[in-house]
Amino acid sequence: MRKCKVFVGNSHPELGHLVCERLGIEAAPCTLKKFANGETSVQIGASVRDEDVYVIQSGSPEINDHIMELLILVSACRGGSAKKITAVLPQFPYSKQCKMKKHRGAITARMLANLLIMAGADHVVSMDLHASQMQGFFTKPVDNLYGGPSLGKWIKENVEDYRGAVVVSKNPGGTKRVTALADSLKINFAMIHTDRRRSKDLYSQNKDKLQLKQRKQSMLRKNKPIIKPGDFENEEENIILTNGIQTARVIKGHVVDDEYVDDTNPIESDVEGSIGTIGSFDAVDSEDDEEFDVQPEKLITLVGNVQGRTAIILDDMIDRPGSFISASEHMVKNCGAKEVVVVATHGIFTGDCLEQLEKSDDIHKIVVTNTYPISKERINNSKKLVVIDVSSIFAECIRRDHYGESISVLFDSLASL
Amino acid sequence: MATNSIKLLAPDVHRNLAELVAKRLGLKLTNCKLKRDPSGEVSFSIGESVRDQDIFIVTQIGSGDVNDRVLELLIMINASKTASARRISAIIPNFPYARQDRKDKSRAPITAKLMADMLTTAGCDHVITMDLHASQIQGFFDVPVDNLYAEPSVVRYIKENINFKEAIIISPDAGGAKRAAALADRLDLNFALIHKERARANEVSRMVLVGDVSDKICIIVDDMADTCGTLAKAAEVLLENKAKSVIAIVTHGILSGKAIENINNSKLDRVVCTNTVPFEDKMLKCPKLDAIDISSVLAEAIRRLHNGESISYLFKNYPL
Repeated sequence: MRKCKVFVGNSHPELGHLVCERLGIEAAPCTLKKFANGETSVQIGASVRDEDVYVIQSGSPEINDHIMELLILVSACRGGSAKKITAVLPQFPYSKQCKMKKHRGAITARMLANLLIMAGADHVVSMDLHASQMQGFFTKPVDNLYGGPSLGKWIKENVEDYRGAVVVSKNPGGTKRVTALADSLKINFAMIHTDRRRSKDLYSQNKDKLQLKQRKQSMLRKNKPIIKPGDFENEEENIILTNGIQTARVIKGHVVDDEYVDDTNPIESDVEGSIGTIGSFDAVDSEDDEEFDVQPEKLITLVGNVQGRTAIILDDMIDRPGSFISASEHMVKNCGAKEVVVVATHGIFTGDCLEQLEKSDDIHKIVVTNTYPISKERINNSKKLVVIDVSSIFAECIRRDHYGESISVLFDSLASL
Repeated sequence: MATNSIKLLAPDVHRNLAELVAKRLGLKLTNCKLKRDPSGEVSFSIGESVRDQDIFIVTQIGSGDVNDRVLELLIMINASKTASARRISAIIPNFPYARQDRKDKSRAPITAKLMADMLTTAGCDHVITMDLHASQIQGFFDVPVDNLYAEPSVVRYIKENINFKEAIIISPDAGGAKRAAALADRLDLNFALIHKERARANEVSRMVLVGDVSDKICIIVDDMADTCGTLAKAAEVLLENKAKSVIAIVTHGILSGKAIENINNSKLDRVVCTNTVPFEDKMLKCPKLDAIDISSVLAEAIRRLHNGESISYLFKNYPL
């Protein structure tokens, strides 16, 4: 590619070099280092005058340093008279802060968008933004690529009998993403809802002895590993269909059965919910904040049917493990799911998230793309983790953008290449 | 320093909401004139001094002449700006073009962002809106935006008008599941979800209900109802699944096109909208429509904003 330079930032060099390899070019030489006082210094080792410059920088555990590095790199290219600068952020940092979560909260994703534009970026490429509305934060064009087709392709090729599988959203907010994948695979979907407030009321209702007995029976049956074929199975199916909703209690992130009494944490924790978080559905965001420490007991509900099927939990990122673990425990132990596969575009795995998911017996596979750096060691130590390479999508996007071709095909048909 | 006071401005059409807000605040609407040339251009003049005053422009943008209303609003903001108002707040309960908030197709415009830029350029210092289609739109603005919720008003309506112990909250599509779940939490009710399924290759899209609604009063909640086709179909699906009755509650009842026809022919018991959108004329044609008045929420927000008090109380509570 003539008149084109690709710079690879320090956050995720593997992905950057894969993209360069795909494009058949060398990454442009640049020195990225830090001064002793912590300031970042950037030196570009090749002329960028009148060239088409692409800077690849993803999120990483040292996120703020790498954002600074990206901004300095972009601004250095701008100062070096580059014709056009495209920032490629496979995982957009701070993308969870794309709306006012709490009152007086900052919309940091927008601030980052402003910073990028100020530094001199003319175009931004990212993948699976936390909310597609984030494209509106920029005054310059944004291309939001999709990881869904690559994940869908993996599911088709690797999940046994994927047609019988069910795509599950672990919170109501992600249902749209889940239905999109379910539609493209032409399979069913379900949804999990966790709530905090109702725990007491619903359980006092359930003290009705008959009801409790029935619930216990159905739960016991579901717990049986082998269900004999024949009328017994039909009966089982009926229970699920007429109920449609299955509820269980979650204490400290783990599913417990009805009789479980938690001595250390009395159930009367309703009060703190109303003081700690004043707000409506957007302000108190069950989607992103896993407040297991604050709310020891929750109620988990599955809406839909996963009996005897493979459940695929889909989300845009795997950040913290709590909700994934409780969702898969609930589906396997209480709802009779055959196995659970956790699928996401960005595998961020904060802290010991990957290790905790690994430890959970109910999760059978964890599938992510390589938009976010995961250390070799972690990948090798994990038996469940599968990393899908999406560098080809970014390479193709860069190539098409450079030659002024349409990118829209990447959104669907070609995206699974 | 001169004391500054609230000045309420409203365009000449759809003044009902503005008048209700003014009544709540015990104020009169500021005298102003909107004139339309035969060519369709708008000229605007304010009948009294607004120098150093706190201006609030209350608009109701519904269906029909959306673009005219938007331009009128921009002209009003700009007129106030050039008249040396201290601060100009636009109250746009139903944010126009909110559905065009992302590039959902290739080469699609993000018109919501354009709207935000236009408002800021005209000179708007603050925006108050209600139940934004996507709360990320808040981030499109360079000025502060207060996104109020209709939820407390809806909760109050349900508690007062519906035997809600027998009710269940329904989300008519996957995207609204979060809203429905939040409302269900507030009312301690269960909720269910309707999904337009395209599960099998050759099958035409059909609606699938996820959840149990038998013998329940179904309350469908959504942020917006346009032609009401989806609502009508959802009602049929719910009744097929043995629901007792179906009520729809939407924040912004845009009710354009065949909406009235659709509602009248549907099996919906009632369609309840807030008065963020003017629909008084439609209520006469359709006995199934009912309104929730949210003027008190807006009035309280204006009062708090003017006095520099916190608005977050209104996110959860209905003002008395």
